[in-house]
Amino acid sequence: MRNQNEGKKEDPVLTKERFDFQQLLQTPQVKLAVAGQSVPRTDALLKVSGKLLYGADYGQEGFLHGKILRSPYPHAWIRSIRTEKAKSLPGVAAVLTAKDVPGRNGFGAIIPDQPVICGDKVRFVGDAVALVAAETERIAHEALKLIEVEYESLPAVLDPREALREDAPKIHEKGNLLSYNKLRKGDLTTGWAEADVIIERTYQVPFLEHAYIEPDVTMAVPQADGTMLVEGPMQAPFTTRRNLAAVLGMPINRVRVRQVPMGGGFGGKEDSPIDIGCRAAVLARHTGRPVRLALEREEITIQTCKRHPMIMTIKVGARKDGTLTALAGTIYDEQGAYASLGPVIPPAGGSHIHSMIMMPGPYEIPHVSVDAYLCYTNHPYGGAMRGFGAPQVHIAHEQIMDELALELGMDPLDIRRKNAFKLGSATATGQILDQSVGLRETLEACAGEFDWERRSRKTGYIDPEKTKRRGVGVGMGWYRTSIGTAGDGCGANVYVHEDGSVLLFTGITEMGQGSYTVLPQICAEELGICLDQVRLVQPDTQMVPESGPTVGSRSTTLMGNAIIQAARQVKESVLEAASEMLLVPVGRLDAREGRIHDRENPERTLLFREAAARAMSRGKRLIGQGWWTPPPATLDPETGQGNPYFVYTYSTHMAEVVVDVETGEVEVTGYVAAFDVGKAINPQSVEGQIEGGVAMGLGYALMEEVVLKNGVPQNLSLQNYLIPTILDVPRIKSIILEMPNVYGPYGAKGIGEMPNIPATPAILNAIANACGGRVRSLPADPEKVFWAIREAGGPPR
Amino acid sequence: MSTLDLTFQLNGQAVRLQLSPDTLLVDLLRDVLGLKGTKIGCREGECGACSVLLDGQPVNSCILPALKVQGRSVMTIEGLARPDGSLDPIQQCFIEAGAVQCGFCTPGMILNAKALLDGNPKPGEEEIRKALSGVLCRCTGYQKIIQAVQTAAGTRE
Amino acid sequence: MATAFKELHWSNDIPIKAYYLPESLPEALELLKRFPGKARVIAGGTDIIPELRRRDIEAEVLVDISRLPGLNTITQVGEELRLGALVTHAQVAASPLIREKAGLLADGAASVGSPQIRNVATVAGNLISARPAADTSIPLLALQASVTLASKAGERVIPLTDFFLSVGKTVLDGQREILTGIRFIGLQPNQGGSYLRLSKRKALTLPMLVAAAVVTVDPGQKAFRETTLALGPVAPTPYRARPAEAILRGAALTREVIREAAAAAVQECSPRDSLLRGSCDYRQEMIQVLVRRSIQKALGQAGFSLE
Repeated sequence: MRNQNEGKKEDPVLTKERFDFQQLLQTPQVKLAVAGQSVPRTDALLKVSGKLLYGADYGQEGFLHGKILRSPYPHAWIRSIRTEKAKSLPGVAAVLTAKDVPGRNGFGAIIPDQPVICGDKVRFVGDAVALVAAETERIAHEALKLIEVEYESLPAVLDPREALREDAPKIHEKGNLLSYNKLRKGDLTTGWAEADVIIERTYQVPFLEHAYIEPDVTMAVPQADGTMLVEGPMQAPFTTRRNLAAVLGMPINRVRVRQVPMGGGFGGKEDSPIDIGCRAAVLARHTGRPVRLALEREEITIQTCKRHPMIMTIKVGARKDGTLTALAGTIYDEQGAYASLGPVIPPAGGSHIHSMIMMPGPYEIPHVSVDAYLCYTNHPYGGAMRGFGAPQVHIAHEQIMDELALELGMDPLDIRRKNAFKLGSATATGQILDQSVGLRETLEACAGEFDWERRSRKTGYIDPEKTKRRGVGVGMGWYRTSIGTAGDGCGANVYVHEDGSVLLFTGITEMGQGSYTVLPQICAEELGICLDQVRLVQPDTQMVPESGPTVGSRSTTLMGNAIIQAARQVKESVLEAASEMLLVPVGRLDAREGRIHDRENPERTLLFREAAARAMSRGKRLIGQGWWTPPPATLDPETGQGNPYFVYTYSTHMAEVVVDVETGEVEVTGYVAAFDVGKAINPQSVEGQIEGGVAMGLGYALMEEVVLKNGVPQNLSLQNYLIPTILDVPRIKSIILEMPNVYGPYGAKGIGEMPNIPATPAILNAIANACGGRVRSLPADPEKVFWAIREAGGPPR
Repeated sequence: MSTLDLTFQLNGQAVRLQLSPDTLLVDLLRDVLGLKGTKIGCREGECGACSVLLDGQPVNSCILPALKVQGRSVMTIEGLARPDGSLDPIQQCFIEAGAVQCGFCTPGMILNAKALLDGNPKPGEEEIRKALSGVLCRCTGYQKIIQAVQTAAGTRE
Repeated sequence: MATAFKELHWSNDIPIKAYYLPESLPEALELLKRFPGKARVIAGGTDIIPELRRRDIEAEVLVDISRLPGLNTITQVGEELRLGALVTHAQVAASPLIREKAGLLADGAASVGSPQIRNVATVAGNLISARPAADTSIPLLALQASVTLASKAGERVIPLTDFFLSVGKTVLDGQREILTGIRFIGLQPNQGGSYLRLSKRKALTLPMLVAAAVVTVDPGQKAFRETTLALGPVAPTPYRARPAEAILRGAALTREVIREAAAAAVQECSPRDSLLRGSCDYRQEMIQVLVRRSIQKALGQAGFSLE
């Protein structure tokens, strides 16, 4: 058992923020002019006109085309590899094997355990065995066929529990257990003793695909000065750059990474650009020419990261009145062939430990124990996917809450009311939630809008033939803002120009979630100017400060804070100049919508740009820099006690479904979801995240899974990997509540990942309510629902 | 491989060129004619991001041999804006409704919506859903897309 | 066991060397003769183009028949309805004539893929692809349709029951013949039809099970006179459930006899265990459900209800 969580014992009480946001909330609330408004997306015009260029739209003149030769075995030694025939094909510029990697032959978002090109062995079907660059894709494809590889097949490990057996084949040298983590709070024995009812269930969830509509593509362009430029859609330019530098054997300052507009990411493009970026860069370095490497849709399914599958056993004890006394959980978290974003980044980063922390749910439970095993297998690997390990455990705890409610004869809302977090609650890690806790408010708001009282009484058959039954279900959830690592920080630069126009530099990427609009909104609000005066510069590691990845629902909050800092810094210079021009003390000046005026005599006013011009001519500094890190994350490696994430977003969802009890088909016919987001910087965008997230959660519940047979994915294309179409998603009503976060810009918390998380269990609970069948192994496709009804002895009468 | 002649109407203009017989319409539009607004998501006619209008009807250009448009008229997203550069009402409604997130499905959605409204100016919600059922979106959950089309049709409650 | 190269390495092109657009049937047939074994007919192409890209099929020459005159219409000759080989699913779904006289076919056509696919894909192409569960071949089988195959030697008319050989294979000789039309007798006053589909989501999906029924009722006797019942995928080809049809023949219109027929349909069927489309056990259960429902729905369409 490895202990990665070495850390000094820290006081788990939250330390005070470095930037005084308390001041922000306590001053009389000035009505926000730009932040808090549903302004149209700044890039929408280009998108509706078809003028925005995505990665695949860039010119390909002069580029070589890169392709990857993939392993046909899930686990095998590479005995020999011969590339002469491939190299001699006309039009082929390079055929590379492991020895040709100039620097470190390994990449990874956390641990670089994934070979750029496999040398001695392959660990999953699709693992890279050779790289080819050629004048055309067709020639590159033909060249792949000419590479001769001799494999010696090894027994494959295809189940995480099998992986932990003594005699299991070792996938990596260090063994198959990548991480074991535990959470201990209170004393389980006491907890069980206090319980009147104890139930235990096991839930299982499969690999999922992100299925972003824009396929992965990357371009590696060696520069004349010997530096390397890599550009493409990506969520983590800095992580990509760090890996590129190591793989190329170059210092970081000689690698430049540019993010280009992205057609969806959902966590997948945190990892896949590192994969194809390193491979394209190695080809580019070797040939001295630009290399474009694009993945076909099917290749995305074979090669790129997935959502971690899990087998979760959860046991809960409760008193007759529904009060939870104890919870014990075991998680077998299948990592797949390589570490990607699974392992622990101390103290609480990485998806695995996040799953462990979230396993007990948003409930007050005095005695908790969780054992979480992260296991390598010879399957495609788990990375980051919207929710990052939280959706899986929500599927477990929200279902068992309903199963418990059934045992106790309680309404599913009442059992949650009994136990749900409120201000001052302690979590299973001992964290006191001392601010911004809107969970119960979301429950009541959702119940009101959904009309739970009435609808839960109207469950039952809706047709005279008695084939379709209606039911309702609830799912509650919580999700962190930030990633829980020691190094979670964000930098922003704001440059003000003499004409009042502003450049905003951040490394946060736009993947459709709206950051390119929200971040400029915050900047404009803080400076007191109009949104169209701010131009956000496309993230380029050579130009923007270190910002961390666009993940973990951290962008609006962390980067928003950094932007506010930067804006306040530069605003000082502008206000100083205005003060000189208006002959009014700085403290009396307000900036708003492009004008600066004297609060006491509002007609004493001038334009922001006039003050900016003056500031420049006076040699004042018009560069603002911000750097924001959250209050430090803490988590004891032995007990899982601490404050892993500094604030949480909360949510309650309710779904109505109709189940055809003869076929198992499920239709979602009604949906309401309520969120406490702290502050909605752009309410329309928040709704957009909610609606898209709910659709994704619906897919997880009803139709999504990567089907594997002997380690080989069977459903590679969008025809067979099913995501919801417009006919599958009902009308969704979203409710936005705001319990301000003292650490957030204007009180904001994250929203990107919260929405899909409770959706899945809300729908599963509704199915069980409708037909009596409980599906514990996803997806709840018609066949699974059919058997669940059978197992329950038929539908309710 | 010998080339073949192709003549067709593209966004209201006559186009005449030579192409190789294995050319698919999406690649003709993007790589030969430089119109990148039509996107490729799957290359099997599943996601609809490649939708264009062929004689006013939506088709998946990723699986359509280019030669099939011989003598016919094609409209891409680039052809939707008015001659003076102003946006088609559908485009404007998409912006205002918040129906655009990553934008990758947007050209396909807008063109399918245009074909719908050209044939059925006041569609009900079910008809809108059916008309857009061939374009996959992973970002929006479709809500604001439906609302945008309703607003463009003047039928939004 | 190693996974095949082509399952792991995907292309973005179709390896075609020539593309012809003949203007007449003789011209088209001549092209097939000129490139034996290397030419394929293409109408809409929505099956063929992805198959070429996947390298599931090989062809160097495509013979596009969309210029052939007179093949893109739906006509009625007496009681017989005729679809030309170029009639698209969209045309069938929108045709008032088909809606009235063969609603099950309109329903099937409306369920294929997506609007974009339906605008281009032809019903004839659906038949030729010979999938065990194609959305129009199943209703056409229930309608006892026939297809016309044209060659230099003339025409032959083949009932659909004799047309399909196995998955992806029909009696059509691809080197010498072109399917030019489909014909069937429209529903008569004492007949009703139905089409039902079971799938994992509501659009863009291949079905888990498709069932189509045409019932002919003896109104006076309140009995089934004749029934045709087609199912797929329950066998290598679209399947007529003859044992079930036999049970219904002459039987009274009761729920029991319908249940009996549904049970009989299962006996003869052998759906495979499919990782993607359902286990054998589930599909057998669903055969019973869909057979029962399709017969009931067809009866309803004919104006008869059960007690």
